[in-house]
Amino acid sequence: MLVLLIGDIHVPHRTFALPAKFRKLLVPNKMQHVLCTGNLCTRETYDYLRSLASDVHIVRGDFDEDPKLPDTKVVTVGQFRIGICHGHQIVPWNDEKILEVLARQLDVDVLVTGHTHVCSIREREQRLYIDPGSATGAFSVIQDGPVTPSFVLLDVQPEQVVTYMYRLIDNQVKVDRVVFKKNKEVQ
Amino acid sequence: MEAMRIDDTNSVEQEKFLETAVKTVKAEAFEMKRSLDKSKRMDALKHASIMLAELRTGLLTPKYYYRLYIDVVNELNHLESFLLDELEKEKKEESIAELYEHVQYAGTIIPRMYLMITVGVVYMKLMPQMRAELLNDLVEMSRGVQHPLRGLFLRHYLLQVTKSLLPDAAEGVEPAIPGSGTVRDTIDFIKLNFSEMNKLWVRQQHQGPSKEREKRERERMELRILVGTNLVRLSQLEHLTQEVYEKEVLPSILEQVVSCRDPISQEYLMECVIQVFADEFHLATLNEFLASCKELAQEVHIKNVLIALIDRLSLYVSNAVGSNIREEIQLFEIFSAQAEGLIQSRSDMPIEDIVSLHTALVSLAVKCYGEKLAYANTVFLSLANNLKDKQVEGIDMYSHAGKELIRVLRVPVDEYKDVLRVALLTDYPRAMLPLNYRGRCTASAFILQNLIDNETGLKSTDDIDAVCSLIECLLSDQPDQPEDAHDSEEFADELNLIASMIHLIKAEDRDVQFLLLNGLRKRLGAGGKWRIRKTLPPIIFSIYELALNYQQSDGDENWDMKVRKMFVCAMGTIGALITTGEMTQLPLNLYLEGAIVANRIKFSENAMVVYEFISKALSVLEDEIADSRERLSALALVTNSVLKVDCLASENWEPLVGQIILAGSKMFKKADQVRTLCSAASLYWKGKVAESEGELRNGNKVTEILKKSAKVAAQCMEPLVQQQLFVHLLNQYYYFYEDGCTVISPDVLSELISRTRDAAIQLEPSREADDIDQHLQHTLQHIRNTKDKYPELAEKLQI
Repeated sequence: MLVLLIGDIHVPHRTFALPAKFRKLLVPNKMQHVLCTGNLCTRETYDYLRSLASDVHIVRGDFDEDPKLPDTKVVTVGQFRIGICHGHQIVPWNDEKILEVLARQLDVDVLVTGHTHVCSIREREQRLYIDPGSATGAFSVIQDGPVTPSFVLLDVQPEQVVTYMYRLIDNQVKVDRVVFKKNKEVQ
Repeated sequence: MEAMRIDDTNSVEQEKFLETAVKTVKAEAFEMKRSLDKSKRMDALKHASIMLAELRTGLLTPKYYYRLYIDVVNELNHLESFLLDELEKEKKEESIAELYEHVQYAGTIIPRMYLMITVGVVYMKLMPQMRAELLNDLVEMSRGVQHPLRGLFLRHYLLQVTKSLLPDAAEGVEPAIPGSGTVRDTIDFIKLNFSEMNKLWVRQQHQGPSKEREKRERERMELRILVGTNLVRLSQLEHLTQEVYEKEVLPSILEQVVSCRDPISQEYLMECVIQVFADEFHLATLNEFLASCKELAQEVHIKNVLIALIDRLSLYVSNAVGSNIREEIQLFEIFSAQAEGLIQSRSDMPIEDIVSLHTALVSLAVKCYGEKLAYANTVFLSLANNLKDKQVEGIDMYSHAGKELIRVLRVPVDEYKDVLRVALLTDYPRAMLPLNYRGRCTASAFILQNLIDNETGLKSTDDIDAVCSLIECLLSDQPDQPEDAHDSEEFADELNLIASMIHLIKAEDRDVQFLLLNGLRKRLGAGGKWRIRKTLPPIIFSIYELALNYQQSDGDENWDMKVRKMFVCAMGTIGALITTGEMTQLPLNLYLEGAIVANRIKFSENAMVVYEFISKALSVLEDEIADSRERLSALALVTNSVLKVDCLASENWEPLVGQIILAGSKMFKKADQVRTLCSAASLYWKGKVAESEGELRNGNKVTEILKKSAKVAAQCMEPLVQQQLFVHLLNQYYYFYEDGCTVISPDVLSELISRTRDAAIQLEPSREADDIDQHLQHTLQHIRNTKDKYPELAEKLQI
């Protein structure tokens, strides 16, 4: 089961389009679920995500106007509970311990948050913490210099989750793979 | 419905007629073949003749007659190959001549002519020296059939079977076999056949009652290809030279076309000429061809002819082969004069036809004369003037004329792939004006989309002015704009395109970049409430991004002034979003982002700017945001932003933090008070002020605030919510404890743990209670996982 984790797109607030190389990768009928950490900013982007998979979950970013979007959401995929939250509500931003508090509160195996515009994957006390970064590489006031465009794909299997981190570095797509087993440490 | 029923009964009847005729054809063909096998040649011809008599029928419509004709021709092919076989074996010249003579005695003209052609073909194949004479003979004799339908098919048969026999030797050179003919004979043969066929075809129009005119026109259209085949044959001749085409072939075709005065024939044949003959021939005869166009009947859609010719030649000329031709022949001038003349002479020409003529001209100008912008511009000017003369305005983009107008506007955009180049066509925007509001917006939108797709960078004020001149209708309210225009999806999409465009502003110099952004801000700022909500935020982000990049540049004596200007510009723009745009959340976020940016830039006034931005954000929060979820989210953002800031002196930092705590304790729901206060506690722990080194780590303040929130939590009347808050508090206390806040004693934690454990037991079972208990268990598990680090706590807790 493939799950796309994507967010902080910020079109057209901060940039004008998803990188062409990502658009080529992100095509319909490949992923079963799309989990978005928010900051889509427009209906067009929302429609684009809807075109990728029938099951799309979105939480509200600080620049999303739609008040109907929730702050957090928990989605069960196979044996795994996956929580999503944009992260601007978390004080202090991106504080690991506070994120862990949230993961415990939501009772999830995987917590997906954004806002930092930096793609990262870490494991702590048998929970996986993923930030898919910004899919457009949108500029961020809390980052130095240019932001690397990124997203994450999860391959959810019965006993484990394989994560693929996609990053656009020098206009080349770089993919990193990490395996997370339930009740085991990251390999 | 009525018409369909009639058609149905007609087709049933037609099928019946056809069936009867085909039955006879089959029977006679069978007898013919039997006779052939028995070498009874005369009998075979007799049966063939009876079979052919079926083609004399007057009952069948062209469609059904064609099916009968196909069946008969199949049988004739058999006869032809059989005779050819036999006579080749006999090797007697006389027998074929006799046979040809014999078939001329057939009683009626249709069987006679078909048999003469069939035998004539055998004759020509056996004796090539007879070709020229026989071809002439057959084409002349066919004049005997003057019935349009029968005559057309007969002459088509003649063309089909002689296809491989037509002489194509160069003229003026004696052919290898004397009498086998040259291309000259073929030209004469086809010229005659063509003019005869055309006459028959035209005459068909004038037969039968006048009320069936439409039906007849339809039938004639079905037959046009028969006539056109003549021109196809001519075009296939290898030795038809350009000179002969120019001097003889084309003039005779044109003479025939013009003199027949039949619109269907004229339109079809002119298009056919364009289609079948070589581009070089067209270029050589352009004037003659165009001159004839003027003589065609009023009903002919000459624009179709002209467009076909322009399209064909622009394709040819735009290829490398034809590249020097465009210098020699003034194609563009010729065609634009023609088009203009045509429009002037036909005052009743529909608008869409006028536009589509211009589309062809624009394509020609853009594809063949890409470097001569004046050409394309002239066409747009002429189009605008023509439409103005006709006093058309408010064209709906889904009407015929509207679609055509959108198409012509797209040509240079799609072809240049450079909106800045399109903008050099100064009369282009005038051609957009006849469209209605939606149409103009659509045109502007595809221009912007093209700019974005091609990532056309905007480097100067001129570039921005150029683009703006093409998207005028998107920038401000238009007189013909509907009241509720801003409610449509298109409106939103188009503003998003403008917003995207802002990110294509890429001046080489950072000072210029700011000038461009500031200039565009003023322009977009005049767009009114609905537009600025979408178009101004990207300007602000671009300024922030620029400011952060600026920082990396080297010493600049005007540095402070420049930075100050940028923040003044950003602040003013955010102000417009509040006052004119009537927005709250977004301006608040933008103020806070601005504070973080200002904090990161080293300039003399950064503390002042940071304070200003954060205090403005707090004012928006206090004055404008009432909804408790929005307040909660806004407070979290303010708190986080203050955590990111380190340049404020305590005297400024304190009031801001005091405001946050005050706002937190004023939250309407107790639960929200607890949560915001817990978050605010971290200000005293992780916050930074200008005077201090590193984080404040003020444990006393932290515990003071946490205690306050615990007090509020205790006041909460709902057991479930209270439990939830205490589990949250436990997590918060432990967070600070783990981070080294020694003011928090193990006693406090142990008290919180027993309190929450006890409360958990007393909660009534429910889904929510389970969730809270789960949270508590996870929290305790986490404490257990980390207890080795804190022996004093472990002892106390005994977990």
